Amino acid sequence: MSENKPDIHIPEVIPELERGPLWLRELRRTSREAYNSTPIPARGLHLWRYTDPVKFVVDRSGAADTPYGDNYDDVEKVELNNLSEGHLSGLVSDFGGREIRFHGFEKLLADGIVVTTISEALEKYHSIVEEHLYQLVGSRSGKFEAMNGALWNDGIFIYIPDGKSVDKPIHLLREAGLAGSAQFPRTLVVVGRNAGLTLVDEYGGGTTEESAPGSYSNGAVEIFGQADSRTRYIMLQRQTQSTTSYLTHRARIDRGASMFTFALSFGGDTSKQNFGVILNGPGAESKMYGLLFGADYQHFDNHTLHHHAAGQTRSDIDFKVVLRDKALSAYTGLIKIDRQAKACEAYQENRNLLLNKGTRAETIPELEILNEDVMCSHGATIGPIDPMMVFYLQSRGVEYQQAMRMIVSGFVSDTLQQVPGDLQERITGFVNQRLEHL
Amino acid sequence: MKNRKALFGFKDLKVEVEGKEVVKGVSLEIAPGEIHAIMGPNGSGKSSLSNALMGHPGYEITSGEAYLSGENLLDMEADERSRAGLFLAFQYPLAIPGVTVANFLRAALKSHRGPDADMTDFRRLLKAEMKSLSIDESFATRYLNDGFSGGEKKRVEILQMSVLNPQVALLDETDSGLDIDALKTVADGINRYHSENNGILLVTHYQRLLNYVKPDYVHVMIGGRLVKSGGPELALKLEESGYDWVAEEVGQKAGV
Repeated sequence: MSENKPDIHIPEVIPELERGPLWLRELRRTSREAYNSTPIPARGLHLWRYTDPVKFVVDRSGAADTPYGDNYDDVEKVELNNLSEGHLSGLVSDFGGREIRFHGFEKLLADGIVVTTISEALEKYHSIVEEHLYQLVGSRSGKFEAMNGALWNDGIFIYIPDGKSVDKPIHLLREAGLAGSAQFPRTLVVVGRNAGLTLVDEYGGGTTEESAPGSYSNGAVEIFGQADSRTRYIMLQRQTQSTTSYLTHRARIDRGASMFTFALSFGGDTSKQNFGVILNGPGAESKMYGLLFGADYQHFDNHTLHHHAAGQTRSDIDFKVVLRDKALSAYTGLIKIDRQAKACEAYQENRNLLLNKGTRAETIPELEILNEDVMCSHGATIGPIDPMMVFYLQSRGVEYQQAMRMIVSGFVSDTLQQVPGDLQERITGFVNQRLEHL
Repeated sequence: MKNRKALFGFKDLKVEVEGKEVVKGVSLEIAPGEIHAIMGPNGSGKSSLSNALMGHPGYEITSGEAYLSGENLLDMEADERSRAGLFLAFQYPLAIPGVTVANFLRAALKSHRGPDADMTDFRRLLKAEMKSLSIDESFATRYLNDGFSGGEKKRVEILQMSVLNPQVALLDETDSGLDIDALKTVADGINRYHSENNGILLVTHYQRLLNYVKPDYVHVMIGGRLVKSGGPELALKLEESGYDWVAEEVGQKAGV
């Protein structure tokens, strides 16, 4: 059915295009034009081989004022509890940018750290916003990035001034709406020189109704890590399985800065996610961990990009996929090293564990390395659980089901151990949930 | 089945691997307190026999029977055989990335004791057994066999046996790849485990281990058959003269 959906254009007069100062309204309009003039990508095109782009075309008239998804309250309760127990630095609840609530930020704000809406930041921190917004995810990034660029309502702005550090996570809860709704969350993060931030960006909610049209979410995240900053960004996808989700994340880090990116995916129906870090100054270092556990008919399409724009930079990706039932994962990982970026190191590994027949995994490593003075390696594996491992555990008395669970837990344990703080327990819980009734 | 009160045994057992018969009808009984050794050249079917008895999915038992404490083993999955009291120390133990030795053994022991069993003694038990086998404490938190040397793997197999304390232990080439000190440590572990109530079946190519773990009976396996049985002296003769004389005696050529 969706194949026949027309390429719906964004109308010229809608309230979103009138939001913000002149320069922003211009960028919104440019994004609208880019969206309207860019054809739906052909299926044969790069990055669209495994996922039908038509799924991400929605009529914005469907973006009704229905920001509250079906299971929102429970999720916020968990995080409010975490906040009250002192596990978080603060909690932001974002309902498609129509309503954004801030919980527990008094202490951070008093310390000069900025956590607010983009609309408020446009008044108080205008130059910082203008300098960074749309720089990494804008009208030229692609049709659906342009769509977010035109249609986002309001977003979240985080600014960590030079030398400040937020170690306990700031937790963002992005709530997909009810059936038929479309959300365009937007995030801008600037981590100052020698500053630190741990940010959890959780995409949840969405309808639980199984029939069409489902919920829709299209997010854009821009993160700037200035010299010697340390940022940990943890994306958690746990939307309902009636939610179609698109997400583009780009981070740019300067000299001596480090960036840890976690892409932890459990939810959604069709999720296309694109994570990229640009290493923009010598000594910059990026490490990405992917952990994706698909079940039922879930469809995941992930891209990662490590772009070495400066020499003496280091990147490493460890992207793990576990699939059961009829789930599908496609992973494309690009390592790009510019001509002048000498003495770089870049590593990439994608391992896929298929728990039963009927699952499907694709892995496409891509290298664009324009100089010789680099150390680079990539590897990928796709396969079932080794029956000999299962037998080994069984031979010690462990039942088949438990043996399978232990092996999968083992497969993901290195990644789980890297997940910061209390989130580790929660993610382990998601993994264990998926391992029930194998 | 026969005269003695057997703890463990198998009768007319035939095993196929990928459609090829590698064990061609073998029988053996082990009474409580006994140590038996099966010796034979490479490819004689010794490892196939022990793997098949444990329930390895690559080995199909096409006929015969096997029992432990009166229970039919062949009706059981590998985990049930383990919980019934059978243990196999593998010749080439696999690595299980991400699963620590301690977590693995805790899960194994818990499966033997039952879901509601008290496990508070586990840490102490593990620590004591590791110490006896000269395994560094740090191994408890290492991933099972991941990056272990050949000798370390063998020691950890014996550690598993010590913790689970099975009724019958099949030890498949547990001596291979061990230097003399490690061999003594492993042999000490086997002797410590051994009691009047359990049985051991050593499967080995060489007589080396039998200097330290004294078998009551030695059986020779050639071409998928147990062709000769005797006392410990048989092992010494095999060490001196090889397997060819046995093969000639039974009118068969030794396997390669």
